[in-house]
Amino acid sequence: MTTKFILDENEIPKKWYNIQADLPTPLDPPMHPQTKKPVQPEDLEPIFPKELIKQEMTRDRYVDIPAEVRDIYTLWRPSPLFRATRLEKLLNTPAKIFYKYEGMSPPGSHKPNTAIAQAYYNMKEGITRIATETGAGQWGSSLAFATQIFDIECKVYMVRGSYDQKPYRKLMMQVWGADCVPSPSPDTNSGRAILAKDPDTPGSLGIAISEAVEDAATRSDTNYSLGSVLNHVCLHQTIIGQEAKKQLDMADAKADIVIGCAGGGSNFAGLCFPFVKDKIDGKADDMEIIAVEPAACPSLTKGLYAYDFGDVAGLTPLLMMYTLGHDFIPPSIHAGGLRYHGMSPLVSRVHADNLISSTAVYQNEVFEAAVMFARAEGIIPAPEAAHAIRVAVNKALECKKTGEEKTILFNNTGHGHFDLTSYESYFSHTLMDYEYPTDLISESLKKLPTVP
Amino acid sequence: MINAGFVVNPYAGMGGAVGLKGTDGCVDEAVARGAVKVSPIKALRFLSNLMDRDIFYFTAAGEMGADILKSAGISRYEVIYPLNFTDRYNNNKTGPEDTKAACRIIAARNADLIIFSGGDGTARDVYEAVGDHIPILGIPAGVKIYSGVFATTPDTAADILKRWESVLFTDAEILDVDEEQYRLGNLDTNLFGIAKIPYIKGLCQSCKQASFGDDREDRIEIGAFIVDIMADDTLYLLGAGSTTKAITERLGIRKTLLGIDAVYQGQLIATDLNEAGILELLRSYKKVRIILSPVGSQGFILGRGNQQISSRVLSLAGVDSLIVVATQAKMQQTPDLYIDTGDPDLNHKFGDTIPVICGYRLAIRAGIIHN
Repeated sequence: MTTKFILDENEIPKKWYNIQADLPTPLDPPMHPQTKKPVQPEDLEPIFPKELIKQEMTRDRYVDIPAEVRDIYTLWRPSPLFRATRLEKLLNTPAKIFYKYEGMSPPGSHKPNTAIAQAYYNMKEGITRIATETGAGQWGSSLAFATQIFDIECKVYMVRGSYDQKPYRKLMMQVWGADCVPSPSPDTNSGRAILAKDPDTPGSLGIAISEAVEDAATRSDTNYSLGSVLNHVCLHQTIIGQEAKKQLDMADAKADIVIGCAGGGSNFAGLCFPFVKDKIDGKADDMEIIAVEPAACPSLTKGLYAYDFGDVAGLTPLLMMYTLGHDFIPPSIHAGGLRYHGMSPLVSRVHADNLISSTAVYQNEVFEAAVMFARAEGIIPAPEAAHAIRVAVNKALECKKTGEEKTILFNNTGHGHFDLTSYESYFSHTLMDYEYPTDLISESLKKLPTVP
Repeated sequence: MINAGFVVNPYAGMGGAVGLKGTDGCVDEAVARGAVKVSPIKALRFLSNLMDRDIFYFTAAGEMGADILKSAGISRYEVIYPLNFTDRYNNNKTGPEDTKAACRIIAARNADLIIFSGGDGTARDVYEAVGDHIPILGIPAGVKIYSGVFATTPDTAADILKRWESVLFTDAEILDVDEEQYRLGNLDTNLFGIAKIPYIKGLCQSCKQASFGDDREDRIEIGAFIVDIMADDTLYLLGAGSTTKAITERLGIRKTLLGIDAVYQGQLIATDLNEAGILELLRSYKKVRIILSPVGSQGFILGRGNQQISSRVLSLAGVDSLIVVATQAKMQQTPDLYIDTGDPDLNHKFGDTIPVICGYRLAIRAGIIHN
C-alpha cells in the first residue's frame, strides 16, 4: 500500500483559489475603526502593498501565482499527502486516514505559503521593512525566512508566553536575520500601555497585532504583514487543498471528512476551501468539514458572529467574524498559534452558512492524540496540528463503532520539534484543561464595538 | 484477617448543619438547634461496605462502636473499653478522654490499624493516644476536616480496607483549627503531629492548606469576572474562603471569611447562614447561584467546611446553580475535586467534570470524584 502521494514540481498549482467568488452569502465589508464606514483600498495602503489589497477584495475565482513565488515554493512543495496506515492499524479502524504534511517547509509549517507571497509583493512595491506579530513563532520564523530571500528587514513581535516557552523559534528568526522581541514590548505605545497595566501579562496575538500595526503605520519604510485571518492569507494557503485534491485522486479516494485546526483560520481555509467549493457546487453534500479549536479559545464554537476589532488596541479595521471579544486574552495554552480571540471573516462566513462545523477540544486530550500519532506515524506534530489529529482520531474511532469506511483527511500543519517542553508538561501531568466558561459569559461580550 | 480498632465519636459533625463551626464543647447548643448525630450514620455506612470482609474489630461500648457494629449485623468484635463518660462538662456524654483511652487499649492489643469516625478534634485525640505506632484512618464525619488522615468518604474508607493487601503506608499531618478563632472568622491551623495512614492514591485526602502562595491576582480576576456576570434577579450564596471573599471585595461589601453569606443586587443581605436560613431564602428567591471554592488542598467542593449547603439546599436550588471558583495555583494542588453531599444519587447529578472559574472569562475543566 502506498504511504506517500507525491506530485511533481510542475504540478504545483498555478493559481490560488478565491472562495469569495463562490460564497452563497457575500462577505460583510471590513469597517474603518474610526468612521465605522466600509474600508476603502486607500485606507489600507499605509500598511499593505496594493496587490495584496487587491487580493483582499477581489471576487475573481482564481488569482495567478507569480512564477518567482512558485519557484521558491519548490523548496518544499508540493507537500506530501500521507496515508496514515499505521495509525489506522493502531486504532483498528475501518476508516482511511490521510494527512497533508506541511512540516517539510524550511520553517517547519504551512506559514511560508503566504509569507513568500507577501514578502514578494512588498518587495515589488519597494518596501524595505516589514513588521509582524507571531504567536507560537511559526509565522514569525516563516516571514523571517521569506523576507531574507527578498532582502527585506523584518521586525517580529512575538507573544511573550510563546517567546518564553519557545526560545528556538526566536533563534530561527535571528538566523534568518529578523529582529524578534517579546510582546507586549516597550517599543510601541500599545505595548507600553499594556505593560503599565499588567507587567506580567503573557501577551496575546491581539496585543502583538496592535504593536505590529502601530509599527507599520508610524514608519514610511515599513509595511505590516499578517500570518492569518485576512482574505489574502487564506487565499495563498489554498495551495494546500488544491494539491490535496489531486493527491486524493492519485490515491483513488474521496474525502468524507476534512479537518483542520483553527486559530486565525488560514491553514484551515487553505486545506478546506477547495473542498468547501465542492459543497457549494453540490458535489459533496455529505462531506463534513470540521474546524478544531482549543476549548480555551473557542471563537467559532462559542463566540458571537459580530463586528469586532482584529487586535486588542482597536487599531485594525472592524471585521465581521466569530469573536470572543477583542479584549479577551486567552490563557497560555501550549498551542500558542491558536490563541486568537477572533476568526478569519471567510472561515466565519462559511461557518455561519453551515458549510463547515466546529468543535473545541482540551489540551490533555490533544497531547494524548499527538503522542499516539507520533508513536504510530513517527512525526511529532506541533500542538496546533494535534488539535486536528485529536478529532481525526475521534472520527476514526466512531467509524470503528459503526463499521463505516470513511475517508478522513486532516492538515498536519507542522512539526513540534520546538514544542517539546509542551510535551514535557503533558508527560508530567501539569497541563491544565482550560476552557471558556460560555454559560456564564454571554453578557461579558458587551464591550464589542457597535457598528451602525 | 485484619485486626482493626473501631472508635466512633458520636457527637462529631453535629454542629455543621446548624451553623456551628465545630462541635467541641457545643454539643448541647447543637442539639438545641436541632442537630442530629451524623457520625454513627457515617460509621454504619462504612461498615455496611465490609460485611463480607475478614475483619475482627476491637471497639468501645455503646455508641462509641459496639452499638453500630451490632446495627450493621457484625458479630466479630470485642468490646475492649466500657463507657466512662469522661466529659465532665456534658453529663452522660462521651468525650475526648474516652477516645484516647479506647485507642490506647486497642494499640496494646496489637491491632493492624485504628479506624475512627469523627473530625479533626477526634483525629487529634486518636493521635495523642497512639502517635505513629499504629496506622490510623478517619471516616470523615466532623465539621472540620483539615487533617490528612481521613478517607474522602465512608465508602472509600471501606475501599482502603478492601484493598488492605495492596495499601501503602505514608505519613499524614494531624491538623486542627482553633475553634474559638474559627468561629470569630480566623482560620488558625496548627500542625499537631505526623501520623501513619494506609494510603491508596485518590482515596485519601491530602491535608488542607490555608494558603497557596501568591495567587492574589487570580482572585482579583475571579472576583471581577463573577461581578461582571452577576444578574440583578439572582440571589448569590457565597461560600467560605478567600476566593469567594474576593467577589465581595470587588462589590465593596464585607463578607465573613468562613460563613455562607447571601448577596442580592450587589448588597449583602445575610451573613453566616445556617442550613435553615438558606432554605428560608430559597423560598423567597426564584433564581439562585451558589458560589463555592474547593476547600483547601483536599479539593472538596461540597461536604467539608460548608455543610450548610446541604443536600436539601442543593435539591432545592438545583445542581446547575453551583459555580465553582478557585485560583490556578489551587487547582495545581487539587486537579480533581470531590463532592460528598451525603447523598450518592445527588453526588452523581454533578457529572464527571465541572468548570472551575480561575480567571477573567477563564475556567479549568476539573474531574469530579464522588461516591
